[in-house]
Amino acid sequence: MLQIRNLCKSYGPNPVLQNLNLSIAAGEIYGLLGSNGAGKTTTINILCHLLQTDSGSITLYDQPHSEATQSLIALVPQENLLYGSLTCEENLSFFARLYGLSKRQRQERIPACLKAVGLANRLKSPAETLSGGMQRRLSMAIALVHHPKLLILDEPTAGLDIDARTAMWRLIRQLQAQGMTILLTTHLLDEAERLCDRLGILKHGRLLAEGSLPQLRQRIAAQEIIVIKTAEEESAIARAQTLGFPHRRYGEDLAFWLPEVMELKDIIGCFAGILLTSIAREPVRLEHIYHEILRNPPVAERQADHLCTNSSTLSQLGRGLG
Amino acid sequence: MSSLAQSKKRLLRDWQGAIAIAQRILLELWRRQVSLVCWMIFPASILMVNGLILAKPSEVSTAAAFSQSVPPCLVGTALFFSCLGGSIATLVAEREQRTLKRLLVSSLRGTTYFLGVFLAYALIGLGQTLLIYALAAAAGAEFQGSMGICLLIIVLSIMVYVGTGFCIGATLARRTEDVNALVAALGVPLLLLSGALVPIEFFPDTLRQIARFNPIYHMIEALFEISVQGESFAEMASHLWVLVILAGVMPAAGWLAYRQMLISERSR
Repeated sequence: MLQIRNLCKSYGPNPVLQNLNLSIAAGEIYGLLGSNGAGKTTTINILCHLLQTDSGSITLYDQPHSEATQSLIALVPQENLLYGSLTCEENLSFFARLYGLSKRQRQERIPACLKAVGLANRLKSPAETLSGGMQRRLSMAIALVHHPKLLILDEPTAGLDIDARTAMWRLIRQLQAQGMTILLTTHLLDEAERLCDRLGILKHGRLLAEGSLPQLRQRIAAQEIIVIKTAEEESAIARAQTLGFPHRRYGEDLAFWLPEVMELKDIIGCFAGILLTSIAREPVRLEHIYHEILRNPPVAERQADHLCTNSSTLSQLGRGLG
Repeated sequence: MSSLAQSKKRLLRDWQGAIAIAQRILLELWRRQVSLVCWMIFPASILMVNGLILAKPSEVSTAAAFSQSVPPCLVGTALFFSCLGGSIATLVAEREQRTLKRLLVSSLRGTTYFLGVFLAYALIGLGQTLLIYALAAAAGAEFQGSMGICLLIIVLSIMVYVGTGFCIGATLARRTEDVNALVAALGVPLLLLSGALVPIEFFPDTLRQIARFNPIYHMIEALFEISVQGESFAEMASHLWVLVILAGVMPAAGWLAYRQMLISERSR
């Protein structure tokens, strides 16, 4: 449905997107992950025609992405960009008119969109009187009003409480069930894990890895992860090395990768003689994969970085000589 | 679909978009009420005070004083604060609330947005026109000249103010608090120098010469000469030409400034 090929974008001398390639199939939820500055927002802004590309191509349903295909895309921005004094109905009506919907189409779409996001009973409520979660859902309804095919959700649950977040997840799944294609960005890896059919991990404007969660899981040579708490961390790491268990730190946690699922007594036996305060078993989650991919990018990426470093060093050297 | 049909469809959509923007601005003002009420109180009070200042039982009747007060009160002060101040405030609010980004995603054209803001403030300006003329008529004021030319002067003045508002709103005013400061710093000296607050007859010669470079002076003089002094079109044509040129230049400059602002807003 959406294909991005060799997309490049720089802000002055700083490259933000470097030969970005990704494709999204109709009806899937694609999660674009990456730390701040990785290029997610730039990608979204280019898709929404807010920014021009330096090079590369975008096609939607095999047509070059242009003003004509712009109405196939809708964006739900991170902030609730609403007109507070206008009612839900008026907010939707305003944007529907900007998209050129006739009065008849508006009469049909506005109640349908508000119903879809669970705000059917708030038709006449001013947007500023809604809770944060409701405002986000209204923002979603505005995005849906002109019947887009691709919905872009920029951190859809940022700043929402757990109930509002759960409601938003439910809504996103409902939209997918109705055939909507969704591209979402998020910093919440559990959210991405729950919602996304496929994921792409961006760093410095390059896609380091892409695939479904089971596909990405293959990048970690572990069947299970254990997190231990002990005062004798050095001893634990040394013991794990002798057993061939790689170790990682996830924040404060000291974790070991187990190449196969083991019985608890066997795991404890591995660390015999070391005083363990606690031991927790975890399945391999997106969080582990994400950290691993950012820590050890694929070889091609490392080479590209190496080349970039060399070329910038050479250009700096050139400037120095000049 | 032929390119002609596509252009027609696009034009229709742009027009619908402009109407939607104008309606939204007016609806927001209606809901908040304060601005609309003030934009009614302000010209009414300025007209009353001006009329009472100018009225001298032995020389100028109350009716004549009120008819003389209408041009500086309407195209000088009322439209200045509503159309110029209002369009700056709309643009700044849209930037501050970041709703502009959402408008851009909907592939709204800059010209459509400009037209929408112009329509909204033109309606407010025309409302103020009706109010001022009604109050003046109630005080016995009589007017001369062509109503069509008077209306043309008012519409051209609104275009100049909204265009200037876009220039300032897109370049200098970044926050709501900037709006008051800019309108006070740039506007009040211009108003004083136009004869809107103090009749130009009181000005020394040097200031009178400088006033000729002030667009507001030409707005007031054009309306004054045709509606109060009953001069012919030819006699006041010099003021009207200045207005026509400014009504072309200021919206164009405002549109360019707005386009530049969009470029920076898009990458935010």
